[in-house]
Amino acid sequence: MRFDTVIIGGGLAGMTCGIRLTEAGQRCAIVSQGQSAIHFSSGSFDLLGSLPDGTPVTDPVAGIAALAKIAPSHPYSRIGAERCARYAQEAPELLRGAGIRVAGDSRRNHFRITPMGKAKRTWLTIDGYLTADEADRLPFKTVCIVNVEGFLDFYPEFIAEEFRHRGIECRFGSFNHPDLEQIRKNPSEMRSANIARVFDREANLEALAEELRRLAPESDALILPALIGLVRNDSLEFLRSRVGHPIYLLPTLPPSIPGIRAQQALQHRFRALGGEYFLGDSVVSAELKGSRVERIFTANHGNIPFEAKHFVLATGSFFSKGLQATPDRIVEPVFGADTEFAPTRSEWYTLRFFDRQAYQAFGVKTDSSLRVLKEGQVLENLYCAGAGLAGFHPVQEGCGAGVSMLSALHVAENISGN
Amino acid sequence: MNNTYDVIIIGGGATGAGMARDCSLRGIRSLLLERSDISTGATGRNHGLLHSGARYAVTDRESAEECIRENMILRKIAAHCVEETDGLFISLPEDGLEYQSVFVDACRRAGIRADVIDPKEALRLEPSANPALIGAVRVPDGAVDPFRLTASNILDARTHGAEIRTYTEVMELLREQDRIVGVRAYDHRNHCELKFYAQVVVNAGGIWGHGIAAKAGITVNMLPAKGALLIFGHRVNNLVLNRCRKPADADILVPGDTISLIGTTSSKVPYDEIDHMIITPDEVDLLLREGEKLAPSLATTRILRAYAGVRPLVASDDDPSGRTVSRGIVLLDHATRDGMEGFITITGGKLMTYRLMAEWATDLVCKKIGNPERCRTAEIPLPGSTEDRREVEKKIRNKPIAQRRSSISRHGDQAVKIDSRTSIQNSLVCECEEVSIGEVEYALENLAVNNLVDLRRRTRVGMGTCQGELCACRAAGLMGRRDPVCARKAKADLVSFLNERWKGMAPIAWGDTLRESEYMTWVYESVCGLSDEAKTASK
Repeated sequence: MRFDTVIIGGGLAGMTCGIRLTEAGQRCAIVSQGQSAIHFSSGSFDLLGSLPDGTPVTDPVAGIAALAKIAPSHPYSRIGAERCARYAQEAPELLRGAGIRVAGDSRRNHFRITPMGKAKRTWLTIDGYLTADEADRLPFKTVCIVNVEGFLDFYPEFIAEEFRHRGIECRFGSFNHPDLEQIRKNPSEMRSANIARVFDREANLEALAEELRRLAPESDALILPALIGLVRNDSLEFLRSRVGHPIYLLPTLPPSIPGIRAQQALQHRFRALGGEYFLGDSVVSAELKGSRVERIFTANHGNIPFEAKHFVLATGSFFSKGLQATPDRIVEPVFGADTEFAPTRSEWYTLRFFDRQAYQAFGVKTDSSLRVLKEGQVLENLYCAGAGLAGFHPVQEGCGAGVSMLSALHVAENISGN
Repeated sequence: MNNTYDVIIIGGGATGAGMARDCSLRGIRSLLLERSDISTGATGRNHGLLHSGARYAVTDRESAEECIRENMILRKIAAHCVEETDGLFISLPEDGLEYQSVFVDACRRAGIRADVIDPKEALRLEPSANPALIGAVRVPDGAVDPFRLTASNILDARTHGAEIRTYTEVMELLREQDRIVGVRAYDHRNHCELKFYAQVVVNAGGIWGHGIAAKAGITVNMLPAKGALLIFGHRVNNLVLNRCRKPADADILVPGDTISLIGTTSSKVPYDEIDHMIITPDEVDLLLREGEKLAPSLATTRILRAYAGVRPLVASDDDPSGRTVSRGIVLLDHATRDGMEGFITITGGKLMTYRLMAEWATDLVCKKIGNPERCRTAEIPLPGSTEDRREVEKKIRNKPIAQRRSSISRHGDQAVKIDSRTSIQNSLVCECEEVSIGEVEYALENLAVNNLVDLRRRTRVGMGTCQGELCACRAAGLMGRRDPVCARKAKADLVSFLNERWKGMAPIAWGDTLRESEYMTWVYESVCGLSDEAKTASK
């Protein structure tokens, strides 16, 4: 099989790159093993929440410019601040083009509210999720936090505890339904995706609306865990119109319904543009000729190779197995690319879980065009995008989604330009 | 408030818990004080090996005899804490077979059944054993869950009138002339000082007993010996595997519940480090290297975590250099030894002999206070072990089968007290270990759980392959449901729990362990936004 570009990895970076390249008229393939970090999405996309020293960032574009000096090996610094600013304009358009309705401004972070009621700086948030312009300014004085009976991956009490600090009066509501009782017959089934399927049925959504109508008069607003709209597009609008009262969603613990939705929307968009998406497949070997990748072989396609002018490595970090740690080194398993890591294992982490852990910044070595290095040499037609890149702390710096999308757009631009 | 007792026991390990039970069964009014949770010291940080005594047979016949006697007793009184697996002592080519005959003779002299079996038969019995083995001896080793065992002793002690105070730290031994009359303690939960009085104060503080005795100006010369262990992600072996040679490092592999454990290393540590055990990469390497010789598949088995305990080895009183160390039970009556009335120390020994240690110490207390009752702890089964598990299973038929089994294995006959009337109560908090909401609620109500780590010790929440990935959060949610104070505490608690888990994962954080850690960081720090709390919640 011949393509212009083959992308390995179907997470946010791989999808973004694939969509941009197919939009530019390329014939593209994505080889994806399945689950990616999007499945743990919070319903928001972070661009830059803090600088490496922990200083909070109000204006992400300005923060990215500041990185050039303090973190020259950060992917944003390697891409360049001006380009990053431009890509940060393009990224939300790309999401909207896929039907993911997001709002936000790359010059000003807003706050998303977590399943534990904490406020975190973010860039783009999907419509319907609770956000705030200031951490302590929420759009209500009284609120009713509604959970589904027996659902353990959402924490009304923790949320209320945080909200009360901000002077908000909190009540609790709970929803039950015979269809939920069916799920509960199996003790391990009360998880977000199964519950969301129940609410994709109109009659059940109607029943939920009825319960919300009953709870609504006591509070300015209602909060629901993000358990609706796995298949339906209009679930929240449906509830809002039936209840006639502000309703906000908050994310749950994984799997994340907005994450699954976003994944599906991106996939759909990529295919609609003519891209070929190989789900549940993984690369087993690659053939190089000099400094070029000639072709790759996958588990499902046996001896039928994927050939292309360009290849993109978007396989993610440790969780997605884009990087593998052995007791003494970090390995990139597909191409054996050069990796950045501390030589002795005791330098990889501290003993406190919430510290900045060095291992999180380990990753694949690249040049400024994000072309991959192997044995010190640039591979001309292999690029790396997303979480597998070295030089950043996605969680502490609040930049995981941003690095994925911006690096993917940068790679796409470099490929299209060549 | 009544603050006067017959006896005050310091230390909530297996020995202290066993003593509280023994005292309460003899009608002695006792108070147990523990500065942290029960079984947090060496009790919860060992192999969980139900020693047959074979390991000591050659070098220490007395210990071996104590072990086999207690082994047989625990099978009866603590059936729900024990797995009767049997064990193999295997000889590898590098060990030769000479030691085997010495070993078998010594076992038999100590009253330990020791059957020499054919290597082929050994591999059939235990397919994970090193196929290079040239000889094997089968002995009545087994596995014992120290958390369950201690919790069960505590439960019974409390039922019979003992008072148990966890998170209460002894700060001072109160003294009147040459007599200890009580203690001044600090209540870490309510942040206040308390005084308690008793005719006898018992120091059952394990390695920390050194410091407790020092509060009375008494020297008990202890030598802290650190032992590091690794937990593997699934049950590799079904029989305990030992090397048939002079006891050395990392030569015991013990199965327990869903996992296997290899250990231990042995190294002297300074006394001021006993609260901060850190596992070094060298220790991990040694454990893996030696472990693979017992069971080669360990090389490719996922390691869940690493941890270390500190053995309370006691230097003999008659050797001022401190070089002669006893692994046996040490009972010190400070009245005769140091001229200090009302104070005794029970230490040394091992998990296996906790009951016997408790018996000896309680006998001495009885002598001092003039109580004529005899010890009955070897006859009366512990709560959880009073009924056959098949009978218990019949009573909780409505529970899903996997949960039924795991709750019985954790709580024995007490499993009937877990509410399982509704589907919500049967919903799982922890999938790896099949812990239901009902079981968490039972533990919160009945088993003196103060935080998530306590809950883990009672129910195994967060002990499985995922090491608390999502179940920690769910359990914190359940604990936080009660009121706003609980919610705040539960959230801080979650941070401590994650730190505690990570401490055991960091020494072995590569491969899947690192993957899991990265995922947990995403979930807790990024999705939940818990990072800000870490600084304020640190102890």
